[in-house]
Amino acid sequence: MSLLREAERCLANQKAYSSLNAFITPLQHSGLWWECLRDADHRRETGKSRSLLDGRLIAIKDNICTKSLPTTCASGILHGFFSPFNATVVETLENAGAVVAGKTNLDEFGMGSHSTYSRSGPVKNSRWDRDEPLSAGGSSGGSAVAVATNQCYAALGTDTGGSVRLPAAYTGTVGFKPSYGRISRWGVVAYANSLDTVGILGRKTSVIRNVFDILNQHDDRDPTSLSPRSRSRIASYFASPSLSSRLASRPLRVGVPIEYNIAELAPSVRHVWLNALAHLEEQGHTIHPVSLPATKLALPAYYVLAPAEASSNLAKYDGVRYGTRAEGNDSGDGPDGYLYAKTRGQGFGAEVKRRILLGAFSLSAGAMDNYFIQAQKVRHLVQADFDAVFDAQNPLLPASSSQEGRKKTSTVDVLIAPTAPSMPPRLSLLMDKTNSLLSLDAYLNDVFTVPASLAGLPAVSIPVCGTGAISGQRESDIEVSEVDPVGLQIIGQFGDDELVLKVGEMLENNKLH
Amino acid sequence: MLRPWLLRTTGGARPRIWFHNPQLRLFTPWKATRLPLLPTPQQARQTSSVVHNETIVPLRKQLKEEAKISRAQKRRGDGKAAQTDGWELTVGIEIHAQLNAESKLFSKAPTSINDVPNSNVALFDLAFPGSQPQFQIATLLPALRAAIALHCEIQPVSRFDRKHYFYHDQPAGYQLTQYYEPFAKNGHVDLYDYDGIVPEDGKKVRVEIRQVQLEQDTAKSQEYPPSSQLLDFNRVSHPLIEIITMPQIHSPTTAAVCVKKIQAILQSAGAVTTGMELGGLRADVNVSVRRRNEVPGLYQYHGMTGLGQRTEIKNLSSIKAIEDAIIAEKARQITVLENGGTVEGETRGWTIGSIDTYKLRGKEGEVDYRYMPDPDLGPLIIDDALISTIGKQLPALPDELVDLLVGPKYCLSIEDAKPLIELDDGARLEYYWDVVDVLNCLHPVTDEGPRISAGKIAGNWVLHELGGLLTKADLPWDSQRVPAQALAEIIDQLWQKHITGPTAKLVLAMVFEGDRRPIKQLLEDENLFLQPLSREEYIVLAREAMAKNPQMVLQIRESKQLRKLGWFVGQMMRMGEKGRIEAQRAEEILKEIILDHSG
Repeated sequence: MSLLREAERCLANQKAYSSLNAFITPLQHSGLWWECLRDADHRRETGKSRSLLDGRLIAIKDNICTKSLPTTCASGILHGFFSPFNATVVETLENAGAVVAGKTNLDEFGMGSHSTYSRSGPVKNSRWDRDEPLSAGGSSGGSAVAVATNQCYAALGTDTGGSVRLPAAYTGTVGFKPSYGRISRWGVVAYANSLDTVGILGRKTSVIRNVFDILNQHDDRDPTSLSPRSRSRIASYFASPSLSSRLASRPLRVGVPIEYNIAELAPSVRHVWLNALAHLEEQGHTIHPVSLPATKLALPAYYVLAPAEASSNLAKYDGVRYGTRAEGNDSGDGPDGYLYAKTRGQGFGAEVKRRILLGAFSLSAGAMDNYFIQAQKVRHLVQADFDAVFDAQNPLLPASSSQEGRKKTSTVDVLIAPTAPSMPPRLSLLMDKTNSLLSLDAYLNDVFTVPASLAGLPAVSIPVCGTGAISGQRESDIEVSEVDPVGLQIIGQFGDDELVLKVGEMLENNKLH
Repeated sequence: MLRPWLLRTTGGARPRIWFHNPQLRLFTPWKATRLPLLPTPQQARQTSSVVHNETIVPLRKQLKEEAKISRAQKRRGDGKAAQTDGWELTVGIEIHAQLNAESKLFSKAPTSINDVPNSNVALFDLAFPGSQPQFQIATLLPALRAAIALHCEIQPVSRFDRKHYFYHDQPAGYQLTQYYEPFAKNGHVDLYDYDGIVPEDGKKVRVEIRQVQLEQDTAKSQEYPPSSQLLDFNRVSHPLIEIITMPQIHSPTTAAVCVKKIQAILQSAGAVTTGMELGGLRADVNVSVRRRNEVPGLYQYHGMTGLGQRTEIKNLSSIKAIEDAIIAEKARQITVLENGGTVEGETRGWTIGSIDTYKLRGKEGEVDYRYMPDPDLGPLIIDDALISTIGKQLPALPDELVDLLVGPKYCLSIEDAKPLIELDDGARLEYYWDVVDVLNCLHPVTDEGPRISAGKIAGNWVLHELGGLLTKADLPWDSQRVPAQALAEIIDQLWQKHITGPTAKLVLAMVFEGDRRPIKQLLEDENLFLQPLSREEYIVLAREAMAKNPQMVLQIRESKQLRKLGWFVGQMMRMGEKGRIEAQRAEEILKEIILDHSG
């Protein structure tokens, strides 16, 4: 099939599935893209393709800046906002011949777990053709649904605490969050800079790899981008014989974090998890229970740190230089007046306001020591937990902290765990305004994804189908057939992105039993 | 970095550099105190670390007003002065100085003072979504020069923090600064008697510097009545340093001297471009008082214990304002305490032209800046080798310069050395070096003698003769007005007795007025070279003068009033051909004739 034909099919799907609300700004029928694809087809015919992405439609989450399409972050405050520049990732993709397939829907500024907190309305997940739409996961729900319903070849999302992996799990797609610093964040609208990571969604791991290979490079404009020196140091470390032999000449040591086997875990999820482990064992790999004791603290720490950074990052939206502004005087005159209160009050949605308040509180002089500082300490503990179980060293740590004294027998190459504790809930349940515990519940969805975010580790969510009998009772509000794929997460040591993707490939498309 | 889209008015990214803000009043204390928690424009204006009162008062006008106020203060202050006996004042200072850097702190946009508004602005400077800071390493160099000149310990690792507050001159909603881990700590500045400290401070006081931190400047905003503010983001993120002293100063004058001295040190280190007059340097002072010979106060600041409750006066923009504000605040606190009240820990303001400080906000209105380490910026790691290289390249500091100038090489008096160093941001001293250099070339030294006078004579001409012309003409310093080469040649001609002193002054005035002929040609054209009179001609002239004033001659002869010879020298100069009479020779001849006669 020609690239042009493939793109036209995607475009047709964008129209057909427009009710799913995956896009805030879809591809327009008329546009430069048509010529781009014709040229790409020509290049392909003459063997001069620019890259494996030449002529592919890639959807971009709407918190990543594009010059040609608005970048709204699903927020009222950036309604109709055109960024004066392209994000590095957009520029890099276009240079590789890829075409922006539109801007996908999300939770406002990336804050949410179901892609419902959007000024453009919730994203709908029509998976398994239920009469009732399910949650698409968040915050990159639009990107995940666009991929799942063939509205694009692949999509970019952002993952701060699971925002790529959770939607991938809920929509049966592959969602990859690389190591922090691998992909440039220049032009990615910050939610929580120290956690924000550009992630990739695709129907197959091979697609993810194609996109990742293009984007995985240093960018001067992003001060947190891994330097060329660090990159080559990391590359040569993982190319050392003891590490390059993994999978190639020796079986894997697969870790199972016991803290992830929580009581709330849906039986269907546990079932697929166990089957996957059994499958790997059959292949000759070994399974090892490991302990990550700080896991329980990770979620609360995340919900202190991310809102703290968010409250700071979102202070720039005052309506003065760009974005929308409330009518009339917003100077805070008068006894009850606060500067910008009207603009910000009207521009931000409920969840964003909630997190700004949370963050402003935890950074305030009286609370700083008890919340922000404590949470930073927990973050170090989470990192140390991972470093303790991985066979590979954390290449970011000084070489002197060598792990000589550690028992290598107890360490593992990768961790495998569920991406989310349950299957996607029904959207109607989430939109029920009478449910006051809703946002707290939503925070719980991130319990398995947050630790890897806090440690900056590479993690991929792979859809894995499980067959066979499921022991235990099935939850009443989640109706899942036995063939429904469940998202399993593979977590690796920092910089070990390649191994994470390889293990993902081993699990995908395998009928496990 | 002109960004064309900044000027465009269509599209979603339309920049709005104006916004409605009716009746934004500067410095309205009564209002600010009523508002809790969040900064109003007025409050925020006072809280940003470099807040700029945009209307720059011309210096002349400011001086006039300050003189008026000081007269007023004297009138009413006599009683108060007596009252302050028995009280000890303690002052600490925070100084914000714009660094001499080519780019902004976190973008490649150039720094500028007078460019077209909003012409030097990068995406990050405007806090565009998705933009990130890029620390410009070169901006560290002037900061390091400043910190080394202030004898600080440079920290191998320092970090940037975000200081949050809303105000329209602060696009990101926070200022990047170094709150938790500044790049320099534990420095000091020495103040000497010749710097102008009060006699009670003795010959020398050392004021310790707690820390020096790097931070961003804010945008410039200008009121546009009735209801708009114009914003110029050229200045946003201009690199600044904040210098925080320990509370170790006990007199308003010494506080002013301290700021003046730090300013001179920064300037001589090449760390800053402009001084206070142009808004390149601003100070906040914290002031407390306690009774002498009584139990120590309850408060401690930066480890200094036993102090009284302090207040902070924000945003002082001249040396005079610092001194006056401290005097006023000291008097206010003493009055409060003597009337049985307590001093509140609060932030106060000072306006040029007033006689009292005024309350900006109390503790309850204190802004919580919610300091947070910046998650985008990594630690700043400064290598020892860099510190020692910069240390070696640092030009001589004011104290070293004073020593040099009053030393045997230049032989200047302290009274001449100080202004030479301080005038015109060091430009006068540069000029002085040039003149001395040229003089030494023109007149190669064989022994120590001539060089010593080169330094001294050049000092006299640069400061007093040239300075006098500038004062008379009311002109600012311009090193090209009389090129150093020309002045040196004039001095050299005088020195070699090719011209007389009055001729030298005349020629200087001609060059000052724009005569650009080479000095030698000018002297030739105007026939100003000294054509020495013969002994006979001197005698004729002397007799002529004596004949006109026989009584004076008698007086000299009879009562040996040799001092009156000078009067005759003057007569001879006047009577003789212009520029040909050498005073010394005239006096010799007069002495000879008048006294010989008597003998």
